Amino acid sequence: MYRLIFKLSFKNAFLRLSRTLLVIVMIAVSMSMMLSIEGLYDGMTKAMVNRDKRSDCGEVSMYNKAYRSSRAVRDTISNADIIAKELLKKRGVSSVVLRLKADGLSSTARKSAFSTIIGIDPQAEEKFGKFSDFLESGRVDLSKNGVLVGSELAKKLKLKLGSKLIFSSQDIHGEITAAALRVRGIIETNNVVLDKSALYIDAKKLYGLLGVAKGSATQIALRLDNESLIKTLKKEFKNLDVKSFLELYPMIKQMQEMMKVFNSITFFIVMLVVFIGIMGVMYVSILERIREFGIMRSIGMSYSLIRTQIVTEALFVGLSGYIIGALIGYGMLYYLQVYGLDLSAFAAGLESFGYSSILHATIKVSYFSATFFAIITASLLSVVLPLRKLKNMSIVDVTKVVI
Amino acid sequence: MIKIENLEKYFFKGLEKEVHALKNINLEIKKGAYAVLSGPSGCGKTTLLNAIGALDVIDSGKIYLDNKEISKLDEEEKTQLRLREIGFVFQAYNLVPVLNVRENISFIMQLRGFSQEEIDTRVEELASLLQIESKLKSLPATLSGGEQQRVAVARAVASKPKIILADEPTANLDSKNSKALMDMMQKLNEKEGVSILFASHDAYVLKSAKRVIELYDGAIVAS
Repeated sequence: MYRLIFKLSFKNAFLRLSRTLLVIVMIAVSMSMMLSIEGLYDGMTKAMVNRDKRSDCGEVSMYNKAYRSSRAVRDTISNADIIAKELLKKRGVSSVVLRLKADGLSSTARKSAFSTIIGIDPQAEEKFGKFSDFLESGRVDLSKNGVLVGSELAKKLKLKLGSKLIFSSQDIHGEITAAALRVRGIIETNNVVLDKSALYIDAKKLYGLLGVAKGSATQIALRLDNESLIKTLKKEFKNLDVKSFLELYPMIKQMQEMMKVFNSITFFIVMLVVFIGIMGVMYVSILERIREFGIMRSIGMSYSLIRTQIVTEALFVGLSGYIIGALIGYGMLYYLQVYGLDLSAFAAGLESFGYSSILHATIKVSYFSATFFAIITASLLSVVLPLRKLKNMSIVDVTKVVI
Repeated sequence: MIKIENLEKYFFKGLEKEVHALKNINLEIKKGAYAVLSGPSGCGKTTLLNAIGALDVIDSGKIYLDNKEISKLDEEEKTQLRLREIGFVFQAYNLVPVLNVRENISFIMQLRGFSQEEIDTRVEELASLLQIESKLKSLPATLSGGEQQRVAVARAVASKPKIILADEPTANLDSKNSKALMDMMQKLNEKEGVSILFASHDAYVLKSAKRVIELYDGAIVAS
């Protein structure tokens, strides 16, 4: 019996082929566009999160309890190297870097600007966040008086490769200290704060400049394989200020929330279009065939079987649109993931928000599963009204119509 | 087989345009009957047929099919009754347009859950009897009116119902096709013993019927 219902549904769903195809194309196009937008939104946020983690704080960073409010060199973690070794032994910790930071003034012969000098270990940074990928020009050479300068700071001070600058700050005792540095590379992380103010020099050199004991650091940044470790670290290092990425970058959390809202709105609009599309087709299709349904009822087909037939018809249309939409959407997402969407024309605007001018999409199974359930739901809901019409029909009235 | 007692049916009851469609109908139709409800247009033939077929509700009275009162059944029970006990033939054929002749004939048998073997045997048998063997794979739209009506008859008798209700089955057919259809239905009545009740004012149907029940203005005037 259900074979008959299935056959009736299939034949009726494609009875008006052009109309059905139009709805299928509408579902497929809307869905593929939605998947692309969803992938791009997520890709943008993911890229930004990834860049900030790589260039700055990792999944979690540790500070001296007083450092984040004072930003003073005296508030370092004195035994940072020992802590780092301990941390590296923990399961789930993939990489650790120590950084020594000090605020100061960078000056050339003509210009000066606020800047933050960061003492790093280039090898550890490479492992931590592929530091060399941020190199816009030059090379990662911190030997002698070599310095890497944030791209925006370089523009502001009109620094080029080989240019000289003086960085002056206060050492651990509060005395003025300064170093003459030569630019060996320009760094562009798209992390707005770092690009505007960062100077990277060899940590060993900075220890001497600031009079800080070797092995101490203002920041211990960790890359984690398992983010649930953050809670454990917070409990274990109660004497330190342990902060997760989202605690350090609350704006990113807001952006993620905003993207979720954008995605939800897009999702809702597309599903509304799908719902209206399928409902329109089903409503017209049922009205056109109301006499046929009356005949079926009169010869003994129950309302529940007719309902099954109509629901199956709607599912045929919805699922056909879904399958085509998923294939096109996957193709578009794959293209956008590999080649990206080049928005160089808006580069300045995007970069001011920390976005790259080429947006790469992400692909998640959840896009497809959520859309699948939404389309199934839209298909099922779309027949509620037409079914109500059918349930209330009078068999005698609809069958007495003369052809 | 069918017993009707004091049947009354109104349209637009209580309104100014109220119509008393069936007036105190009392009627008995025996098993194997080959009867026709006749009378002028608007006399209540189709209304009475619809009431017997549990397609329409009645205002008062009782209708029994094999001693079971059908006027008291709920919608689902009426659907089951129509599926298992009654076959319908309509003036406008009313075949399912997306199904071919074979599928249309076997439609009710499939709904009733007959085995594929039973269905195939019965479809071949009826197609031969009604001379539509060569049309089994055709869609209804490609058939002539006479052929479509023969398919409708085959569908109605396929699952061997107790009675066939045929509402103006020859109305859309020419005289040649009308005669051929009535001959076939008569053959079915005799060969399969199926009771048939027509609603018609076609002279040939009246001539071929074993019993004529005459209605006028909603009441039986001769039987």
